[in-house]
Parts: sequence; C-alpha cells; structure tokens
Amino acid sequence: MAAMPEGSAVLDFVGHYLVPGLVTGSIYALGAVGISLLFGILRFAHFAHGDVMTLGAYLALSLVAGLGWPALATIPLAAAGTGVITVVLDRAFYRPFRRRPTIISVIASFGVMLMIRSAVQLIWGVEPLEYKPGIEKPLIFFGQLRIQERHIWMVAVTVALVLALHLMLTRTRMGRAMRAVSDEPDLARVAGISAERVIQVTWFIGGALAATAGVFIGMDSQIDSYMGWNLLLPIFAAAILGGIGQPMGAAAGGLVLGLIEELSSYPWIGDDPLISPDYKSGLAFAIMVALLIWRPTGLLRGRQF
Amino acid sequence: MLLEARQLFGGYGGMDILNGVDVAVEAGEIVVIVGPNGAGKSTALKAIMGFVPLKSGHVAFAGADITGKVPEDLAALGIGYVPHERNVFRTLSVEENLAMGGYLRREAIAAAAARIYDLFPALKERRRQRAGDLSGGQRQMVALGRALMVQPRLLLLDEPTAGLSPSVIEEIFERIQVINRSGVGILMVEQNVRAALSIAHRGYVLATGRNRFSDSAAALLANREVAEAFLAGVGNGGDA
Repeated sequence: MAAMPEGSAVLDFVGHYLVPGLVTGSIYALGAVGISLLFGILRFAHFAHGDVMTLGAYLALSLVAGLGWPALATIPLAAAGTGVITVVLDRAFYRPFRRRPTIISVIASFGVMLMIRSAVQLIWGVEPLEYKPGIEKPLIFFGQLRIQERHIWMVAVTVALVLALHLMLTRTRMGRAMRAVSDEPDLARVAGISAERVIQVTWFIGGALAATAGVFIGMDSQIDSYMGWNLLLPIFAAAILGGIGQPMGAAAGGLVLGLIEELSSYPWIGDDPLISPDYKSGLAFAIMVALLIWRPTGLLRGRQF
Repeated sequence: MLLEARQLFGGYGGMDILNGVDVAVEAGEIVVIVGPNGAGKSTALKAIMGFVPLKSGHVAFAGADITGKVPEDLAALGIGYVPHERNVFRTLSVEENLAMGGYLRREAIAAAAARIYDLFPALKERRRQRAGDLSGGQRQMVALGRALMVQPRLLLLDEPTAGLSPSVIEEIFERIQVINRSGVGILMVEQNVRAALSIAHRGYVLATGRNRFSDSAAALLANREVAEAFLAGVGNGGDA
C-alpha cells in the first residue's frame, strides 16, 4: 500500500478514481438488484437484463428528443415504461414456462435478449447516439476538485432508489410478500399470497431499475444497442458478489465491484496504474470466477446459483 | 361435516400414491391419520390442500365442493396448512411470518398476532428474530401461528411433532388441543401415533394409499390388530 496521497493528490484520487468508481458502481448496483430479485422469486438467471437496460436508455432517448427534457427528468417515465414492457415480456415469454424446469426460462431469456436488441436496432438504428452533444462543465469543489453534476445525481438517485427498495421490502405488505415467495413459494401460496402478483411487481421493479441504470450510461457517454450486453457480466458478478437472491447484497456488490474496477488502476505502488485500465472488464470476470469457486453464496450468504 | 374427502386417487407424475382415500373431519374434531411410511398420509393432506393433482375423487369443505381448487383459494376459504418441512419463511422474522399468515386479512393483524403470542409466549420475545434461526420446536410454533393467522376453520398439520424432543412434543400436542377447543377442526398426520391418538377424537389408518381402519381414536388404540401392524415400531422415518 502506498502512502496516503496528500493535498491535490487526494483531490486527484477522489475526482479521477473514487467518483468514477461510485458512478460505475451505481450502474452495476441498479442492474444487479434486479438480477438478484428476479432470481429470488423465479429461480432463474435473467440473461436479458442487460438488454432491458439498453431498452430503458433508448426509451429515454426518445423522450429527450420528443419532449426536450433533460435525460435525468425522463427517468421516471423511461423506467415505468420499461417496467411495463418487462411485465408484458414475462407474460409472453416466461410465464408459459413457469412450471417447467428453470433452464427453459434461462434459454427463453436468451431469446428475449436477442429480440430486445433487434427491436432497438430496428427502431433506433445501430449507430451510437447521444442524449446531448457537447461537453458539460464540471462543478469545482475546493478550487481543484472537478466533479460532473450528473455524477452527483447518479449516485444520489441510486442511493435513494436502493433505500426505497429496502423500505419497500421490509415495511410494505407487497414487499414482505416478495420476500416470502422468495423464501418458500409453496408456503406463500398456503398463506393466500398470489405468486403471479408478486412476480409482476418484481418484474416491474427489476425492469425500472435496469432502465434507470441504462439512462445513467447514456447520460455519461453514449448509447448503442450492445451497451447492456457489455454490462451483463459485471452485473451478474455484482449479484453473485452480494449473494444471489439478496437485493441489498447485490446493491453493495455492484458498488464494491465498480470501486474495485476504478481503484485498481490507481497508482497504489509506484507511478504506474496497479492494474492497467485495459483489464477492467477482466477484473469483474476474475472476481466472479473466484467467488463461484470459493464462496458461491456471495458475501451475504445468498443462494447458490 | 367440515371436511369430506372421498375416494381420492392420484399422485405425482403418473405415480399413484393415493388409491382411494376417504377422510372426514367434523367441526370441532381432532382427526389423526397414521400408517406406515409410504402409505400416502402426507400426500393425502397435500391433495386436499390442492398441491397434488387428483385423478378422481371429491373434496368438500363446509358443504362446498373444493375439488381441484388451488392452495391460495383454500386459504381464503379458511383452511390452514402446515407442511412437514419448510414450514416457515426462514429469512423473515417471527413477526413477519405471522404478518404473512394474515396476508389476506389486511387489517387487525396486530390483534390476531397478539392472540398467537398468548398461545405461544416463547414467540413473543423472539418476534424480531429470523424464523430460520429458531429451534425446531419454536419453528413449529411459528408455523402453527402463521397458519392460525389465516383464521382457519380447519387446520391441516403434517407431522407437527417430527424431530422434536419429548417435552416439546407434549407442549405442541397440548397447544393443538387448545387450538381445537377454540373451534378449529384439526386433521393431522402423525408418526407419534400413540400420543396423537390420545388427544384425537377419531383416526384413520392408511396403508398403500387406501383406508385400512377408520374408528374412534380410543377404539384404534385398543384394537390389537392395529396395534400389532401399525403402532409398534412406528415413530420415525420419512413421509410420503
């Protein structure tokens, strides 16, 4: 471990490593929470989740273009729209297989993944697009610390959403029912809980959170039809890191993974990055493999995949 | 008649476990189903609760035909069910388990939960603990409490004392009698045959998926043939 950076070096660390880590972590967290919730209730790995993010990002693009709103303001509508679409996709492509072995649903999710991506390419094209062209001036703190205002929003919105989800799961009737179905689906039926209602709500929440993450990516760079696909590995790694079926664990897993990715290229020893930024995406994969071998239940004792 | 199941045939995936089971419970009765392993005792309960598809047969509850109804609907009608295993929501607290039992009631959950704590005082001090962290006996109490939150007129209990220590078994049976005296009909499958029959009004002996003996509990306990064939050496083992 290198000596703690001082003065402007601290600001450099915060601005160039810590904040980007929190931003990446927020995006992973929002995706991983959905993966984890859905796995808890439906017991299958939803491989189309990355493409649900893509869909949300593109819905926001149309809202930005159509209504002239800033991207941040389109999130509620884009998230709700994506949530509804995922509920409909469930009706059409997952519900018919509910009583069949879950591997069938996994395969179906590959099909849905391709369908969403193709639909996005058909509607919006294959070229990368931007919500708003040009460069935004960052906010400047302490004279030198430059932080983009959107990054503050992204982290704040993520924290708010994860907290709201936590309160929902622990304090509301539907939230408790979701946890009950996740624990023991048959026992939940005996208590009169309609699994289908719970499943619908879970899809909506998972889709809405994924869409929010998708919009964040668009706010930070550009969007293209493969953006979600490229995030699939880290969000699964984050969900496993947190303990699959443990939504709060998945949120923490996303944040930790984002921070590890960004902080790993900080020059902790000497003047060169500890790990070249080129290996960022390999890092998520390495963490996932290591977890599956040595701690498959994740950090928070979740289910085994 | 509170519950009347007649000539139940069926089982899982083409395997017939039930080959003509008849079970009835009068309001206010405790009825016990006993029999050797693989006799279809648990399956009969699951079939009544709508978990096992029936090939033929009829189930009536409080005069209405409930054949083929799903568990969610039966809960709403007033049938509580406590499975043998996986009978609590492990990651939910005791309090939340009870709240889930009262899921259909929406209001007055606190008052109903208070009555459950009166019935099982041990649960009150543990109400914030995860149900999965409790002892076997306490978990059984949570399971019974959760089922009672449905405000059932009939309670189906699948081996409520399996794997518990003798003193806890005694306590559970004593509580089941208290529940019964409050007007809840009880149909239970038990491996602790003598103890169960001693608190029951009537009993059924099942073997290979059909009724072998049906009589008052006292008569079954006194029946030498039943005693020799089914009561001796029964007391542990799996279920079917």
